[in-house]
Amino acid sequence: MESLFLLIPIAAVFVVIAVAIFIWAVKGDQFEDLNREGERILFDDDDDTPKS
Amino acid sequence: MSQACFHCGDPIPIGLEIASDLQDARREFCCYGCQAIAEHICAANLGTYYDKRGEQNAVRLTDEDLAPFDLLNDPSLYQHYVYQEGTVHSMQLLICGITCSACAWLIEKHLAQQVGIESVHVNVSTRIASISWQKDQLSPKDLAELLADIGYHAQPYVPGERDQQQKQHKKQAIIRLGVAGVGMMQVMMSAIAMYAGDLQGMDDVYRQLLRSISFIFATPVVLYAGLPFYRGALRDLRTLHFTMDLPVSIGVLLAYVSSVVALFSQSGHVYFDSVTMFIFFLLLGRFLEAVARAYQTQSNDHAPLTAVKVKRDETLQTIALHQLQVGDIAQIDPGQSFPVDGILLSPHTSVDESSLTGEYQPVSKHKGDVIHAQTINIEQKVEFEVTHTGQNTRAAAISRITERALAEKPPVAIMADRVAHYFVIAVLVIAALTYIFWSFQGRSDAYWVMVSVLVVTCPCALSLATPVALTTATNALKQAGLLITRGHVIEALANTQHIVFDKTGTLTQGRFAIRHIEIINTHLSEDSILSMVAGLEQHSKHPIAQAFADIAPTPIEAIENLPSQGVCGTWLGQKLYFGNRTLLESLGLEIQHANIDGYTSLYLADADHVIARIDLCDALRPETQQVLTHLKQRGARLSLLTGDTLTSARAILPLELFDDVVTDCLPEQKWQWIRDQQQHNVLMVGDGLNDVPALAGATTSLAMQASSDLAKTHADAILLNDHLATLPKALASASKCRLIIKQNLIWAAGYNATLLPLAVAGLIPPWVAALGMALSSLLVVLNATRLTTV
Repeated sequence: MESLFLLIPIAAVFVVIAVAIFIWAVKGDQFEDLNREGERILFDDDDDTPKS
Repeated sequence: MSQACFHCGDPIPIGLEIASDLQDARREFCCYGCQAIAEHICAANLGTYYDKRGEQNAVRLTDEDLAPFDLLNDPSLYQHYVYQEGTVHSMQLLICGITCSACAWLIEKHLAQQVGIESVHVNVSTRIASISWQKDQLSPKDLAELLADIGYHAQPYVPGERDQQQKQHKKQAIIRLGVAGVGMMQVMMSAIAMYAGDLQGMDDVYRQLLRSISFIFATPVVLYAGLPFYRGALRDLRTLHFTMDLPVSIGVLLAYVSSVVALFSQSGHVYFDSVTMFIFFLLLGRFLEAVARAYQTQSNDHAPLTAVKVKRDETLQTIALHQLQVGDIAQIDPGQSFPVDGILLSPHTSVDESSLTGEYQPVSKHKGDVIHAQTINIEQKVEFEVTHTGQNTRAAAISRITERALAEKPPVAIMADRVAHYFVIAVLVIAALTYIFWSFQGRSDAYWVMVSVLVVTCPCALSLATPVALTTATNALKQAGLLITRGHVIEALANTQHIVFDKTGTLTQGRFAIRHIEIINTHLSEDSILSMVAGLEQHSKHPIAQAFADIAPTPIEAIENLPSQGVCGTWLGQKLYFGNRTLLESLGLEIQHANIDGYTSLYLADADHVIARIDLCDALRPETQQVLTHLKQRGARLSLLTGDTLTSARAILPLELFDDVVTDCLPEQKWQWIRDQQQHNVLMVGDGLNDVPALAGATTSLAMQASSDLAKTHADAILLNDHLATLPKALASASKCRLIIKQNLIWAAGYNATLLPLAVAGLIPPWVAALGMALSSLLVVLNATRLTTV
């Protein structure tokens, strides 16, 4: 159980990194358009010429 | 029933055949413009657009849209609108007709294929495209043409100061929300471990470790994410008007401070989990409300570059709208709106003033008549002298009345805030008395008893009760087609007993429709008469022509516009006339028919005879009658406020459904009438600029999606799908929401009231208080999810 003293702080460091990346993304305008990004994946993966 | 155009979705005129084989199927179009656009899109391998778009876009390209881009030849304007970095230039374009991600995708893909384009990014929410390009290979005008190829028109745009500010606020709100969300999850994980520890037993060392971790993650949530609540609380204290911000702040800070004390003294109980969850849910509700409000205000702040033609020094120049000065002589093409107020210099034209007066029939204007900004020139190219610009125009004056109306709007006290006011005071007094009492009794844990009291009464459930229900209902209504932009709307809708409607554009479609055809002297059928008229009107920009737009035109040659009379043309070598009574008189023809008020009667004639009479009239929306009857059955009082005359209202509307009918109203009178009704809870539904003061002054107001921008900005809610039938649904949903808020409040208050005496008596250990608080909040949230469907 002593490992908790090491593992939890390590996990905490990862959380801090995640939040830092999130803030960086917001400041870089990546959250500008909340309507668009959710649907972007539907478009970019499509093959433009229909196969049949 | 005619088919819809594959590209724009307009009905295809009967008998017209324009089709192409696209995407392995035969596609039909309403005009060659749409066909060209669709072929262009599919030829560029962008056909997926048609599969993925949400709503069809009905924008067609026109040549006049390029005028603002010519203005950019002026170096000072170019510098203002275009950002230059070496050989790469970039600018922002406000794009009309973006309705969903499919449009954005199409624009990005299409432009990225072009030579010279560096990058393209389209924002769907703000409808702004940021484009950068190589300056030697393209000009801003090329961009506009590229966009026109796929059916969008664009205007150069520079974000204003307010836009920038709003953007900053939104970013900060997202960061706060993210911090609160991540923090809450981490704290919850530790909390679950600690709950398990409470049941199974746990070494103090580990408990202390988990507590410290919760403390580390809860701290930024409380100190950073919760900041807006503390600011609100300070404002409450300054103004002595208590809102929910104050109990929220007190609850959060006390629970946090006592948890910190508990952590360092290694006694008592920590409440980091409850605190962070509480902050996260409240922030989420506020964020959604702010996003809805931003959608509403953006249309008003946009000030794209607009071009105006002006006669200066005997030559015709094109200048930017803001360079226009009083005394200038400006020229306006038919179909365009007047940018400023002025006096007509040309002999005659007719003007569509519906944006100001709500009257959809064009008004005849002669030399020397006053022309208002935002009205539309219909008949012919005219010149006018500018008398008022910018803030001095009539349209700007209406928006000033509106500011006043908004300021005098009766406040709708939100139930939770009213409760909060007394609740806060009561809780603080009781907690203080408890502490004093137990201290005098010599009880060593008096402090912890006080904390229990505060936690038990922590208004978590109470202050979540309203916002959670409102947020859920708001989202559900948005799905159903009603966008709510102000917090009080749902509660006010639930209390609405009196609904006031505007006529034109709200209950009616606000355009001419054929009501009656009388064949006077011909063997031709009704259909062929209509088809001949459609042929005569096919190139006209007059609103009357719209009534015939869906009919396949008979080929007519040598079509000529007869100002303020009608049109004429040649059919199979025979001269045909279509127009009003004045036209017939000028032909020397006589008619017996007397004009009916509310109807516009027009005549088809050849040189010797009157062939037929066609009566036109505004048409009701298809759902109007049913919606009015339904609302009446619900017991609502219905009123009609219109700028039109009584007879013209009677011609279209079932007036017997209304309790009050007020006709011939000016915008100011509409507002005054609404103001006189304020003892009732009034809901105003309108669309035009003339409704704006009334919309702002009513307890609650609803604007149609097709409304003028100003009307939308000042309404409390917008009918996104432009379908009146959404209104009864919204009222029903609002009533349900109010019921759930009541249940939630009763539950929360009941819970607090039951546990409070026990806590005061010192019978409740802090961990029971914390668990009870979490459970009661959860129950409130779950109850609100019942509102997810309208």
